Amino acid sequence: MLDGLRDLIRDEDGPAVHVRGLTETFRLYHSRPSGIKERLYRFSRPSWTDFNALQDVTFDVGAGEAVGIVGHNGSGKSTLLKVLARILPPDEGEVVTRGRVASLLELGAGFHGDLSGRENIYLNGAILGLSRAEIDERFDEIVAFAGVGPFLDTAVRNYSSGMYVRLGFAIAVTVDPEILLVDEVLSVGDAAFQERSLERMRTFRDAGKTLLVVSHDLEAIGALCDRVLVLDRGRLRFDGSVDQGLALYEQLTRTAPREHDEEDEPGRHRAVRVAEAWLTDRSGDPIEAVAPGTGLLLRVRVHAEDDVDACSVGLRLERGDGEQLHETHAAWHGLGIGPLRAGQEAVVELRLAANVLAGHYRLHPLVTDASARFAWAFGTPLGLEVQPTRGAVGAVDLAASFAVSDGPALRLGAEQAGQRDGVADA
Amino acid sequence: MRTLRGKLVDLWHARELLRQFVAKELKIRYKNSSLGFLWSLLTPALMTLVFTALFGLAFDIGVDDYPAFFVSGYLLWQFFQTSSQSSITAIVGNGQLIKKVYFPREVLPLSMVLAQLTHFLLAMLVVGPFLIYSRGWGVLWHLPATLLVVVLLTIFTSGMAMVFAGANVPFRDLQELIVVIFLVWFYATPVLYPAALVTSSTNGVVQALAGVATANPMSWFVELFRTSTFGTVRAVPGQTVDSAAELVFITTGPGWPDPELLALATVVSVLVFGFGYVLFNRLALTFAKEV
Repeated sequence: MLDGLRDLIRDEDGPAVHVRGLTETFRLYHSRPSGIKERLYRFSRPSWTDFNALQDVTFDVGAGEAVGIVGHNGSGKSTLLKVLARILPPDEGEVVTRGRVASLLELGAGFHGDLSGRENIYLNGAILGLSRAEIDERFDEIVAFAGVGPFLDTAVRNYSSGMYVRLGFAIAVTVDPEILLVDEVLSVGDAAFQERSLERMRTFRDAGKTLLVVSHDLEAIGALCDRVLVLDRGRLRFDGSVDQGLALYEQLTRTAPREHDEEDEPGRHRAVRVAEAWLTDRSGDPIEAVAPGTGLLLRVRVHAEDDVDACSVGLRLERGDGEQLHETHAAWHGLGIGPLRAGQEAVVELRLAANVLAGHYRLHPLVTDASARFAWAFGTPLGLEVQPTRGAVGAVDLAASFAVSDGPALRLGAEQAGQRDGVADA
Repeated sequence: MRTLRGKLVDLWHARELLRQFVAKELKIRYKNSSLGFLWSLLTPALMTLVFTALFGLAFDIGVDDYPAFFVSGYLLWQFFQTSSQSSITAIVGNGQLIKKVYFPREVLPLSMVLAQLTHFLLAMLVVGPFLIYSRGWGVLWHLPATLLVVVLLTIFTSGMAMVFAGANVPFRDLQELIVVIFLVWFYATPVLYPAALVTSSTNGVVQALAGVATANPMSWFVELFRTSTFGTVRAVPGQTVDSAAELVFITTGPGWPDPELLALATVVSVLVFGFGYVLFNRLALTFAKEV
């Protein structure tokens, strides 16, 4: 019986990805007994909690399908891709993939800063499973796509971050697998690069290859995928059409409690909700893409469902890849909202400056208790697009300026300044 | 659980990766030092000077051509030690890579061993003429035996490297402990002194130590390698002395190694490699969760 099933699974016409009852367990040590001392002190077994990053996940992906995987941080998306990529063995259940699998979990994984671009192409290509002949054959294509031609013999530690990810991406997409696993790499690099990589994914999908994409960028998922899996705390909550899946995901995100919320304040959850939030410039006009450092005004209208004595409104700033950059609460500034009667509303104004560099960000307004320790509700995330600027690269805007205070200063012409830009943006 | 056959096929497909990792190790090792590759030769040369001053001159242990005697054992030891010590962080130090890409993990420790083997062979090219100058053309005639021993030691060292690299993941104290392990192991291996120095002693404690040294596989490799690159050192039979310092040795020229010892070394190398490979692959299942 089992053998018959296995034959069915191994059948040539079977699905490209076959997952049955997959459970992946991580052991969270309370204090990791990695040394001899702990082991000697602790005669009993060390204490830990088993945490199921994935629990009883079952699905199939047919050859040629493009599937988006969404879920908030810690929902098990990346773990799922790692199991499919064979980085993690399944703890329980069965996982079968058919065809060459390539994973883009990190661009330029294994690049060595001291080696030149040329040397890193061969090294990274080999890490991704290409033979020397295959890399030779694709070398020119990689260099052209990444646009690193003049810097091939420069150590990659001197590359701009843009060149670094472009080179990593260019190598990864030449692997030409039957199944491509992509984790969040679409949200790195500048807008032009994101567009190009999205285009590359489309070409790949249209060539009839199988694609599994993890992303927080719902637009990219919508543009690329014809099916969505929604993961929530390790369980597969939804498997179906993109529209429905993304709607469910947004719903889950809005209501998702914060991580340390496990010790939820009883009865208080969602006593106040975020009814609406607007992000505008300082004079209240709507904004599109803003320059770094632009002053912004966030207004949050909250609605009390129950009588509450006090609550607080806060804000979290997230980068496109889900990295949390900033968090602030009215409570931390000594300001509370309340008392509110059931049905009463209040509007909180928050002045802030977009001190971040080019990229896509999300602002999450939230309502918490008066100590800002327990999240009661999240509002719909607000997108914030920041334009590229000259004179700085990275994530934060330090408003830096230079002056020569001792010694001769020289005003550089547009030529020299342009050359530096050439390195960063070529 | 994947089959052993499948794993070996994976390893074969990863040979380009192995080559690239070895090349990377060789390129970055001396990237920022001004003497660069010369360090691979300077270290054994300086060690030879120090130990020759100590055991060849200050406490003369009565071995002919002590510098050649020392360097013929020390180069081999150095290959083993540097391979093991660089392998121990091969997994722990590459956590980012292991968490993000799949490839046969054993490529990491194996690449460390092969990079060190390259250093060792280059050092042998330089030291070779010195050995021929000191010990005669016999060094060259017995080259096939020398190479065979190097192959066996590489297999043995690869097995040990996989054990160290894998065990260090759940047991991180190993990378501190290994310094002491190798210090003790070095003195328990007849590199500085001829094996006959301890095996000929009538002192009970020294005899016990001699037992340890004889059971130590590195002693066999040093003995085998030294036989074809330097010669043998034996105590004159029938001596009854209280102190090892009074022993008189006979030093012969390069020769063919003892076939029995060679067979033993072959069997043990293959067993250690097999053990290391199986242990490493078992531990490798959880590398991505633990590094």
